[in-house]
Amino acid sequence: MRAILLLLLAVAVQARTVLVVTADAPDFVLAAGGAIAAMAAAGDRVVLVRVTNDDKDSWNLSPEETASRVKGEVERAAKLLGIAQVHSLGYRAGELGGVSPTEIRDRILFYVRLLKPDAMLIPNPYAEYVEVLDRHYTGMAAEEARRIAALANHQPPFAEAGLSTHVVKELFYYAQPFDPRRREAESTATFAPQPKVVDIGSTFDRKLLAAQALQTINYSMAMRIRKRLDDTARRLPLLDVVNEDSVRKLVEINVRKLGEIAARESAYKLAEEFFYSGPDFQVPAKLR
Amino acid sequence: MKAALLLCTTLTFAQQLPLATIPPGKTMMVIQPHHDDHTTDYGMGGLIARFTGAGYQSWFIRSSNDEKDGAHGYPHNDMYNLRESEAATKILGMKGVYSLNWRNDYMDAIPLLELRAQIILLIRKHRPDAVLGHDPWGHYDRNPDHRKVARAMAEAVWMAGLANVHPEHLELGLQPHRVPHLFLKARVDYGRGHRPNVAVELNEDQVRRKQKAYVAHRNVYASPGMARSIRAQLQAEGLAVPEFAGKTDDEAAVLIEEWYMDWISRKRGSENGVKYAEVYWQRREFDYLPGLTDYLNANVVNR
Repeated sequence: MRAILLLLLAVAVQARTVLVVTADAPDFVLAAGGAIAAMAAAGDRVVLVRVTNDDKDSWNLSPEETASRVKGEVERAAKLLGIAQVHSLGYRAGELGGVSPTEIRDRILFYVRLLKPDAMLIPNPYAEYVEVLDRHYTGMAAEEARRIAALANHQPPFAEAGLSTHVVKELFYYAQPFDPRRREAESTATFAPQPKVVDIGSTFDRKLLAAQALQTINYSMAMRIRKRLDDTARRLPLLDVVNEDSVRKLVEINVRKLGEIAARESAYKLAEEFFYSGPDFQVPAKLR
Repeated sequence: MKAALLLCTTLTFAQQLPLATIPPGKTMMVIQPHHDDHTTDYGMGGLIARFTGAGYQSWFIRSSNDEKDGAHGYPHNDMYNLRESEAATKILGMKGVYSLNWRNDYMDAIPLLELRAQIILLIRKHRPDAVLGHDPWGHYDRNPDHRKVARAMAEAVWMAGLANVHPEHLELGLQPHRVPHLFLKARVDYGRGHRPNVAVELNEDQVRRKQKAYVAHRNVYASPGMARSIRAQLQAEGLAVPEFAGKTDDEAAVLIEEWYMDWISRKRGSENGVKYAEVYWQRREFDYLPGLTDYLNANVVNR
């Protein structure tokens, strides 16, 4: 009994708080769902901050209906991954380019100081996204929030309200879709995040279920593929009938292949890729 | 020695880019800030000529008013540059120019979403199968207009396909349209930004049209002063260029610019195993779904 209590205590002591920041609903699931599920399974308390309301990406649904449905679906996906809480900032999707970067940053900063995470997973602001630049804006804001969370002169009112400064020890940058330069290490004297490939073999099933829970966006993806093929006199037999089964199958093919691509040149079959900065992140290389 | 030669040959070929084909379609748009961005040394005149030669109807969206560029001062530069831009697009076989007229070199401060909305409207009107533009990740591109328009274009090409983005456009009878193919100016010098992933082979006629389109911008290129100073330098060094004989400074300047465009096209060609080329970062229709591209390529069939 005593041994069990000691074991539980050891787990509790090692358990971390992990803050995941995502621009849109599918980003954190597709790029980091397996790693998140593994962290949660290991006892970490994982919290999600979702920056946009995903009101645009749907098929024949109004923005209001879309945002409402996706909110429920994200919460289901998060639960499947073991995420304990979801906080939505509610910015309109695709419009972060018109929002003050400082405003987004300080709203994320609030959660960093409130939750005091040991690790953060954020969109890589430097990945060469071609389309959904909300990922870039979110990544920039989250990266800055992580940095200034440690500096008392940023947002003094937060301190007045009891939100003290905090150093986040670990940072994982993820990219959805893949950054074409994701295997190239960045390097400067003081800042050297390195490519990190994480095995998701044991959590892939949960990641897949979470991805499939995003039904509104998945249906939209399937219908857009179908429309493009119809417009160019082509067909994909799987999408001759677009229904729940065919969309689930399409998502499975997508999620599995993403895992295989990330696992290339590694010892794993299914993986996710990150840029990673560990606890020595704060220390200039010459002083380590 | 043989092994070294083989290695050199292998390395040379390893660096060559695949040759792009013109995607099937009918309509193409070039979306850039300035009057001359569609005809400069990094492209895109040759590729435009290939598109129009393949039967594409194409339009040039010029986002700025180009008031700063040229020797006539503003507002005169605006008109000179517009006229020359129209002339260049005609040489390349394009249908016309849309001028959005944002203030030249002041675009960093303009509302991104407003510019994007204009581009989305034009995309929905013309429904292009391909768009050509600057790279939104060219951080080291020092021109603020290039950066701004590239970002607006990169968002517009896919957001135009979402009915919930500017639903008011649908009241005009326009339908959502996602642009399937994208050719971006690729980074070929330093820094980040998409590296070229394709070379576009050009024939003699396409290179000639590219040259003519470039020198159509006489307000900013082919300055007689440039030819005059080159001639003076040559004379000071006791050298002569036979092709300059009997030519005015105006004519010599045009010749120099045409040589430059010929040289850069040959250089890109020789790097990629053909006579003439331009290089781009191309995004194909389903590249935005990297987990599905192999599956779609293997399973999509014609009706």
